[in-house]
Amino acid sequence: MNDVPLRETENSESYQVRLEVFEGPLDLLLFLIRKKKIDIHNIPIAVITKEYLEYLGREEQINLDREAEFVLMAALLIHIKSQLLLPREQPLGEGEDPRRFLVDQLVEFQKIKAACSILKEREEGQLSLWTREALPPLPEPAEADLVEVSLFDLAESFFILMKRKEAENFRVVRGKNFSLEEKMKEIIAALEKEGVLDFLEYFNRQETLEEAIVSFFSLLELIKVRLVMAVQERLFQTIKVWLRRESQARQ
Amino acid sequence: MAPGLKEIVEALIFVSLEPLPLEKITETLNDFPAAEVEQAVRDLVESTASAERGISLIQSGGGYVFTTRPEFDPWVRRFLKIDRKSKLSSASLETLSIVAYHQPVTLSEISALRNVDSSYTIKTLLEKKLVKITGRKKSPGNPLIYRTTERFLAYFGLNSLDELPTEEEIAKILGEDKTVEQAPKP
Repeated sequence: MNDVPLRETENSESYQVRLEVFEGPLDLLLFLIRKKKIDIHNIPIAVITKEYLEYLGREEQINLDREAEFVLMAALLIHIKSQLLLPREQPLGEGEDPRRFLVDQLVEFQKIKAACSILKEREEGQLSLWTREALPPLPEPAEADLVEVSLFDLAESFFILMKRKEAENFRVVRGKNFSLEEKMKEIIAALEKEGVLDFLEYFNRQETLEEAIVSFFSLLELIKVRLVMAVQERLFQTIKVWLRRESQARQ
Repeated sequence: MAPGLKEIVEALIFVSLEPLPLEKITETLNDFPAAEVEQAVRDLVESTASAERGISLIQSGGGYVFTTRPEFDPWVRRFLKIDRKSKLSSASLETLSIVAYHQPVTLSEISALRNVDSSYTIKTLLEKKLVKITGRKKSPGNPLIYRTTERFLAYFGLNSLDELPTEEEIAKILGEDKTVEQAPKP
């Protein structure tokens, strides 16, 4: 492993080493084992425990959240040491070394660390290769994932429009009456021709307040009988009106 | 080989949104003999490798994909306004390689191998879509089971889990370590 967390200081009257934060207790143990040039399969537990505890006592950089994990390892080390010291009635058999559990863990962890260093190199190489990032496909019009607007959204947009129209202060005198039925037919015809209507834009095209109001009611009626669908692509965006697909199929 | 076959393959890989597996190419071009299509793919890889171009065709994440050449990385990043790509932390890398080698694996198994609580790390890996949850283990507590994703393979330029560093490669690294340690200190 070439990422030993170790940095030598320049002025070395006495040999000084500064340790950086370790990822975990196994990291620290492996480091100590390497520092002491210990055979991982034959660890002198007394030596390593002393080193480990010394390090814990000295080191203030250990992440507090992880402290427990380091202390747990210390306890394990002491436990192993005590097992080695206690006299036994029967000598230990082959492979019954109390250190076995720890050694297995260390060996496995060492392998993982080695794999990590290979993967790290690969990561380095891959990060300078760029592929085209695919954008998610745009939603099809009238697809179900659009937000279907509520009556209140429609009404709110409508009142904004009415305010605008009022401000325009039309003085059109016309003796024409607008019927709902005619307006509905007109909207359907427009939808069939254009496919989609912009709600705000459509009402802006209406000449008088009365006509606009009638168109609004017609639209509500059309929505109610499920001939058209009003959707909003995103919140606060303009409301669009589509013919319902099933109604198109019916005609 | 049928004329234009190489170019057809190139077009397919170009429009594909993700690494395009060879099977998918042969399946699409089923009006040509599979062997010819495979040859066309090989030729294409070869010709993009030799040509003086900004992109090359590589096999990664289980399929063929066009990537920029590494030497043009600085300009691509300037264009995309990315100072540098963020790398995985060593905790993430550790956890990820445990998942890769020990999958299917549970969180407590990962934590036991590392001797470190890994719940936060696994969460970040899930967010990065480098690992995924594939079910629950039938053991006490029914813990979640984790596996690596296709994206994991692509991230490291691997085509399958078989391409992970092998025991020999790992042993070699550990061996090299020893020789370094045994060298006398200056």
